Amino acid sequence: MVRMESIAVIFGGRSAEHDVSVVTALASVIKPLELTKKYRVEAVYIAKDGAWYWDDKLKDIKLFTSGEIQNYLHRTQPSSVQFDGGMTLVKASGIAGRKQHRKIDLVFPAMHGTYGEDGALMGLLDMAGVPYVGCGVSAAAICMNKVLAKRVALGSGIPISKYVSFAKTDLERNASGLLKLLDKELRFPVFVKPAHLGSSIGISRATNETELRNALEVAAHYDDEVLVEEEVPNLIEVTLPVIGNEQPQAALLERPMTKAEDFFDFETKYLQGGKKGKGKGGGSKGAQGYSQIPADLPKGLYSQAEKLGLKVYQVMGCSGIARIDMLIDEKAGSVYFNEVNPLPGGLYAHNWNKAGMSNVELVQRLVGFAKERHAARQSLTTTFGTNYLQQF
Amino acid sequence: MIKALKSMYNLNYPKALVYMLQASEYKIRPYIAWLHRTKDFQKVMHRRQLDFTRAARLLLWALRLGILLQLIGGILLIYFGIWHRLAGGVPFGVAAIISYPFTWAYLLVVPLLIGRALVEIPAEAQAGHQSQTAFASHPGKKIAVAGSYGKTTMKELLQTVLSQGLTVAATPANRNVVRSHAQFARRLSGNEDILIIEYGEGAPGDVARFARLTQPTHAVITGLAPAHLDRYKTLAAAGKDIFALANYLKGKNVFVHKDENVEPFLEKDYELFDVHGVLGWRVSDVKVSLEGTSFQLSKGAEHLKLNSGLIGAHQVDYLAFVAAFALKLGLSTEQVREGVAKTVPFEHRMQPYKLSGAWIIDDTYNGNLEGIRAGTRLLKTLPARRRKLYVTPGLVDQGEETAKVHHTIGALIKEADPDVVVLMKNSVAQYIQEGLQGYKGELIIEPDPLEFYTNLSQFVAEGDLVMMQNDWPDNYA
Repeated sequence: MVRMESIAVIFGGRSAEHDVSVVTALASVIKPLELTKKYRVEAVYIAKDGAWYWDDKLKDIKLFTSGEIQNYLHRTQPSSVQFDGGMTLVKASGIAGRKQHRKIDLVFPAMHGTYGEDGALMGLLDMAGVPYVGCGVSAAAICMNKVLAKRVALGSGIPISKYVSFAKTDLERNASGLLKLLDKELRFPVFVKPAHLGSSIGISRATNETELRNALEVAAHYDDEVLVEEEVPNLIEVTLPVIGNEQPQAALLERPMTKAEDFFDFETKYLQGGKKGKGKGGGSKGAQGYSQIPADLPKGLYSQAEKLGLKVYQVMGCSGIARIDMLIDEKAGSVYFNEVNPLPGGLYAHNWNKAGMSNVELVQRLVGFAKERHAARQSLTTTFGTNYLQQF
Repeated sequence: MIKALKSMYNLNYPKALVYMLQASEYKIRPYIAWLHRTKDFQKVMHRRQLDFTRAARLLLWALRLGILLQLIGGILLIYFGIWHRLAGGVPFGVAAIISYPFTWAYLLVVPLLIGRALVEIPAEAQAGHQSQTAFASHPGKKIAVAGSYGKTTMKELLQTVLSQGLTVAATPANRNVVRSHAQFARRLSGNEDILIIEYGEGAPGDVARFARLTQPTHAVITGLAPAHLDRYKTLAAAGKDIFALANYLKGKNVFVHKDENVEPFLEKDYELFDVHGVLGWRVSDVKVSLEGTSFQLSKGAEHLKLNSGLIGAHQVDYLAFVAAFALKLGLSTEQVREGVAKTVPFEHRMQPYKLSGAWIIDDTYNGNLEGIRAGTRLLKTLPARRRKLYVTPGLVDQGEETAKVHHTIGALIKEADPDVVVLMKNSVAQYIQEGLQGYKGELIIEPDPLEFYTNLSQFVAEGDLVMMQNDWPDNYA
């Protein structure tokens, strides 16, 4: 009998996007992976305190939606991970103190935000030598730092909107000086963003100095680095889900149906089902609320945005999956790179469905890309024989 | 084996037995057959749970009490065997304790046999007498609808279209046996122009009996196909029973849907209808899409363009008949046009809907070969931008024809040439696979149909077209 491959889906985590991660893992990753009937799927949950748990019970969304998870965490021993030339999950089996082990063949990170999407987890998995789905350490780290991503984009000739970035300590030390600098460099309205968070957490739009002060305070509450950028006039926000390694494939350009003043914040995206969106006909209610798929843009502009999205994916060194957010000045016909999300919420499966890829096909493709990248890396030489030690 | 035995001693075992009886509609033979093929009694309540009706509660309590008494009896026998040297006490006691799941699985049908003899049979006789009197005195035209398939659809279409100009009453849903006919008769006002009565054949003699009791003036025979062959044994026997309706009317006002199986039963007085025409009307210009079906009826210089929300070319046979029949009964062309336009897909019968961007055609209430033929043809006709998927568990109650019918189904699916075929893992999947020989697409054998149906949205995407035909409840799975 052929042994089924074991895939660990890691979710939750010490991040402001912990809850989004739970939904991504349970609705968009674990279920379709199990439906393929090709893999043994292990749910690995990282609690908000950083403890790891491995249990089939964690596959039930009701455990989280009912709040029962707290009781579960109180009465359950955290699991551990063994790095034994690979990765093995270990937990107490409850029978005579025996341990239960599961060798993991591949990891599917379903983490958003810090310690998960930002390269930290990827580093751990690279060290363990386990193939995993999604961007590698450097791409994840660049993408999750909006400031760094802008610098990389700028260096590759990718158009971006005008911005200023600074550390939280700069704001604490010299707020008035910073406000003067912002006033000199940028024009209202501006967007203020924590540099590392996704899912639009901590993002505010400011149209005057008072709003700007508040927005800076909010962003600095979440992050130690803050980005302020000019709003693109005649704005159309679009986003492009992309999958693949060397030859990335784009889904459909998606336009969230929001006005600039109702920008796509966390509440609009995840809590209101997009009700703030003022969508007209043709809108699609995906995981992120109302959006237009494909975005109703002139053919040339659509193609320009699609090309830019794919270029950004490659320039950032993305692999597996990512989502590229772009800003369009409708009147000028200009497209600007905004940011990259290395693990889009819910894998943006609603968009892939529209593009003609089912959830089951999507996760299978992603597993395939993970294996492909791992095999390519395995073929690289990482050691070098010297007589250095003998000479020491 | 061990698992099966273990599940018989589970605390939920009595509940599972009552559920099996309830899901078999309290029919003893299907219950016993299910009992014999069950491997794990903990899994019988998979799709549904026991509905705690009065009858189910009573049976469950009686069963638990019986089991308890047997266990106490067994313990007492052992006790007296050990302490009072009762001869054979210990072995009989142990046997009594061990055998309770087997004993009570069969003893459970005793209350049913008693209930049937004392209550059901007299009640049915009384209902039959009542309905005979009620229908005899009713002045309206009484249209009986019988056939192996399409009865409920025909009844609904007749009701929808004829209601445009006449007062019509019809038996509700698919309630089509003596007691439901009697209930229907009790609710009639006596002012109806038309009564439509569906006959649900299940065993030889059923249709002749329904005809005697309801005394129809018109008969519509929707077609003949292998169904309920566990009771009829052969298609010929089923046809003989269905055509008892035509015999009752001595061939007058008998309308028969002409399919390949009715030929041996036809007589010259019968009016036949099919996709080519009916009652002198010729059918042409048939167009099918996921939005509906349109066609033209022509008789001499007269033309009538009709649009229906039903999907599939096979629907035209029935729609054309209903339209022509309505005209014959005196409805205007405008009334007929409006009536046909009001016909929409019925729940789970060629009902299209969107899921994750894909078009799903839900035909899960379809349980006969002709329906499968229509569904596979429709799948072949309709365009899909991505994949075409065909999903079925096969058909039940095909008796000795099971292998042959499912070989035909396999061949029909192959002819439709979907990209993916999903079969449910069951007793007939092998026969369908044999019929599919030479099929080049992807074949999936799904071990858990419920999981597949529940998560269908995860398997499909924009541009897919999925045809789902028939669904097996727990008692067949």
